Amino acid sequence: MTDALMTLSGVSKRYTRGKQTIRIFDRLDMAIPRQDFVAIMGPSGSGKTTLLNMLGGIDRPSSGEISFDGKRIDNLSEGRLASFRATNLGFVFQFYNLMPMLTAAQNVELPLLLTKFNPKQRRERVNAALAVVNLADRARHKPSELSGGQQQRVAIARAIVSDPKLLLCDEPTGDLDRETAGEILGMLQTLNRDLGKTVVIVTHDPEAARFAKRTIHLDKGHFTEKDLGA
Amino acid sequence: MTFFDLVRKNLFRKKLRTVLTTFAIFVAFLIFGVLATFQNALNSGEESASADRLIVTNRINFTLSMPISYVQRVAAVPGIKLVSHANWFGGYFQEQRNFLVAFAIDPQTYLDIYPEFVLPQAQRDAFLHDQGSIIVGKPLADKFHWKVGDRIPIKSSIFRKADGSDTWDFTVAGIITPGKSDVDVNFVAFHYEYFEQTRTFGHDTVGWMIVQTESPKVNERVAHAIDAMFANSPFETETKTEAAFNKAFTEQLGDLGFIVTSIVGAAFATILLIVGNTMMLTVRERTNEIAVLRTIGFTARRVFGLVLGESMLLALIGGILGLGGAFAFSFVLAKLLAGRLGALAFSPGTALIGAVLMATLGFLTGLLPALRAMSLDVVTALGRK
Amino acid sequence: MARTFIQIEAVTSMNLRSIPQRLWTSLATVVAVALVTGVLLSFLAMSNGFRTTVQGTGAPDVAIFLRKGSGSESNSIISRDQIQLLLDAPGIAKGSDGKPLLSAEMYAIVDGIKRSSGTKANLPLRGVGSNAAIVRRGIRVSAGRMFRTGTPELVVGRGVSKQFKGFELGGTIRLASQNWKVVGEFDAGGTVFESEIWADVVLLQGIYQRGSTVQTVRARMENADRLKGLQTYAEADPRLKLDVKAESDFYAAQSRGLSDLILYLGWPLAIAMSFGALAGALNTMYAAVDSRMREIATMRAIGFGGTAAFVGTMAESLLLSVIGGALGAIGTYLLFDGVSAATLGSNFTQIVFSLKLTPALVLQGVFLAVVIGLAGGIFPAWRAARVPLLAAFRDP
Repeated sequence: MTDALMTLSGVSKRYTRGKQTIRIFDRLDMAIPRQDFVAIMGPSGSGKTTLLNMLGGIDRPSSGEISFDGKRIDNLSEGRLASFRATNLGFVFQFYNLMPMLTAAQNVELPLLLTKFNPKQRRERVNAALAVVNLADRARHKPSELSGGQQQRVAIARAIVSDPKLLLCDEPTGDLDRETAGEILGMLQTLNRDLGKTVVIVTHDPEAARFAKRTIHLDKGHFTEKDLGA
Repeated sequence: MTFFDLVRKNLFRKKLRTVLTTFAIFVAFLIFGVLATFQNALNSGEESASADRLIVTNRINFTLSMPISYVQRVAAVPGIKLVSHANWFGGYFQEQRNFLVAFAIDPQTYLDIYPEFVLPQAQRDAFLHDQGSIIVGKPLADKFHWKVGDRIPIKSSIFRKADGSDTWDFTVAGIITPGKSDVDVNFVAFHYEYFEQTRTFGHDTVGWMIVQTESPKVNERVAHAIDAMFANSPFETETKTEAAFNKAFTEQLGDLGFIVTSIVGAAFATILLIVGNTMMLTVRERTNEIAVLRTIGFTARRVFGLVLGESMLLALIGGILGLGGAFAFSFVLAKLLAGRLGALAFSPGTALIGAVLMATLGFLTGLLPALRAMSLDVVTALGRK
Repeated sequence: MARTFIQIEAVTSMNLRSIPQRLWTSLATVVAVALVTGVLLSFLAMSNGFRTTVQGTGAPDVAIFLRKGSGSESNSIISRDQIQLLLDAPGIAKGSDGKPLLSAEMYAIVDGIKRSSGTKANLPLRGVGSNAAIVRRGIRVSAGRMFRTGTPELVVGRGVSKQFKGFELGGTIRLASQNWKVVGEFDAGGTVFESEIWADVVLLQGIYQRGSTVQTVRARMENADRLKGLQTYAEADPRLKLDVKAESDFYAAQSRGLSDLILYLGWPLAIAMSFGALAGALNTMYAAVDSRMREIATMRAIGFGGTAAFVGTMAESLLLSVIGGALGAIGTYLLFDGVSAATLGSNFTQIVFSLKLTPALVLQGVFLAVVIGLAGGIFPAWRAARVPLLAAFRDP
């Protein structure tokens, strides 16, 4: 598992509500190889969103280790986690989560504000990202002027603009119709195949899972199909 | 796009809300600016007082007079450069409500001792030569449409002429303008000699004397010398620095400073609540977005900065508009109240205090919301759909 | 119609009961309105207190004579000859000794030291004869005794001993280059006269080198209607160049200037602040409506009419404002009612007065609060009434 992009070792997550302790997972092990495209499926309450959050450094495990590119991320400070996310991760959400008062281009530019690029360089990267998702002609539109599918494409452009290694997607097609969902998932495939990005999607839709290279099922905090590594 | 652009765009998202909040801030700073200007006008006597001038009045009360023979005796006191004198006329123009600050003065010495009252040389010469002439302050000239050469009647509520009339006619010899911005020229002045010859009582008395010392260092010594000279006489004197004299006068109006501060305090407390509350509402509505920014890689500190930047920007816009309004309004006020109050002008000091208030307001209204945004639990916020 | 009322009642009570969910926002509005009301009522209490003190001063059946055109007592001058002529004036009441009730008085200004600030302020030193308290109305020696004529003794008004240092009963004080003994205190019903110091007129004439002249003459008329007759009498005689006024009118005119000024400052200030508070109220109510969009739309989908939503929102806005107004009124009453203040009157002397808040004034304050509540509620209420039903199904 040495060339795995992300590894989880003995990861547990517990919540205490008053006197009750709820176990989300218990000593989970997982490896995500580079350039993998994995779909995590499971019923609601199975903990798949929590898993995604931990992969993204948004949530911390109660015990165990999480590593990215050979370095641990579960013990990083908030500040370092933030820069880790800025450099290495891109998030895509079910409800797009674009800023309504910014244009598509400005939305895509957001992650670049955290970098040292000058305005010209930023503009180049934004245009490149929008080109990848085929929305260069809508750069100046606000989210309210775009369809659901177009908004999600803007969100994807935002997720890849700083060229991260990993894309984490939480129900990316949950709010889209069949045809548009297909477009989006196809785009994710392209990003995986042609641009070498590792993609993890969380979904409850088996049709969506088919676009991935492999599927993992999560139920009550356990994997039902173990991943054997690349 | 820069961080400032992000802050700016966030601020103007809900236009109506931002307009309303800006308006509230505008009102508060307008109130502050106008009241501060008022207070300045009332204190202007103190501010514009010259450090080397003393005022000599009757010890019992400044409304009583002193013999004119005192003027020569005071001039002989060592440490004095110039002495002048003046009498209160109790003047008004046409109707009693057009009350005027009117003095009977010794023209040469008075103009010398008050160099901040500016008169063109030709007008000054005309005034000095014509005993029946009068000089008027520019705001009053504008208010009553007086021009050089006009013949104007000034009435007295205190004095009478031998024929029983209370009206003195004068020729306008000159119009006084202020040498500096806070100098009050809302008065008229004429020859003591003319006044003396035509009034029916109070002969050979003066209302107060103005003394210019060789340096502020000798003020105390000179003051004591003067008062000692007239101690135990029927007309004992009290000599004070001009600043102290003016201050004592405004103090009689009551604790205006307290009232003004209370009002401005109440106004600011009000907007603090309103704006702070609006910022809290705004942050609460944007929890989802804030969470997304965190996933992109914005640190908690940056999020704090974004929110605080927004409240500062808001305070800045509202504050500048409010102070600007007060500045414009001060011109209107100066015209309306010409002759009644001191020099009404919006001062740089007020602008400075206003700037400090803007920064404080921006900080206080943004602090709690920014802290709240900073400590947002990203996981829960993202989970909220 | 009845259905509408039931709906209104239901929605309104739901709205009001949900206020605790928006507690901080609602509190902010309440406090803002309270502050605005407080500022307005403080000014009104000041103006009212000042006006009451001065207006209550003087009686309608006491005539006051001043030199023509003087405007104030300190500027006036009346000679002994003129006083003699006045003794024959018609309509003046006679005392128990059969002589006309006239009081010839001097008005001088001396310095007193304010207790509150320790700074100097002008006080009136009135020279009066032995019959001054009889000629005038409402003056009563409340402590000690009246001064003996020809002696350097003083009686002081209650306001003076309250607000100024050094006028304690039995003590001595130096005024006008003379030492005086304070032998009495007088009660003047809270009027301007309580800010005065009285001494023997003949003594003062000597000190101030006035010879036999005085400044004013007061006369008790047989009744208030005799004023016209007195005025005619004074006009007819060229030696009597005097203004004759009823004492109450004289003081009423004097008070108008300052009390008007306070009003001209107070109302515009309060209105300006109200706009600020209004902005806040609008924000609060708009946010309240926004946060309950789904709720309102659901109610509408169930069948509740727009009127109910409108009234419900208005009710909320009005409630918050009225509570704010009430708090402001209570606060002003507790803090300022009865508080004594002193400021410059028209004679350049201090007038002591108390801030006075009356129910009528409180009503004005509450009125302002209600206006803010109405204005702050009407647009949001309109929006609530027109929430489209689709909002029930849309994401917030």
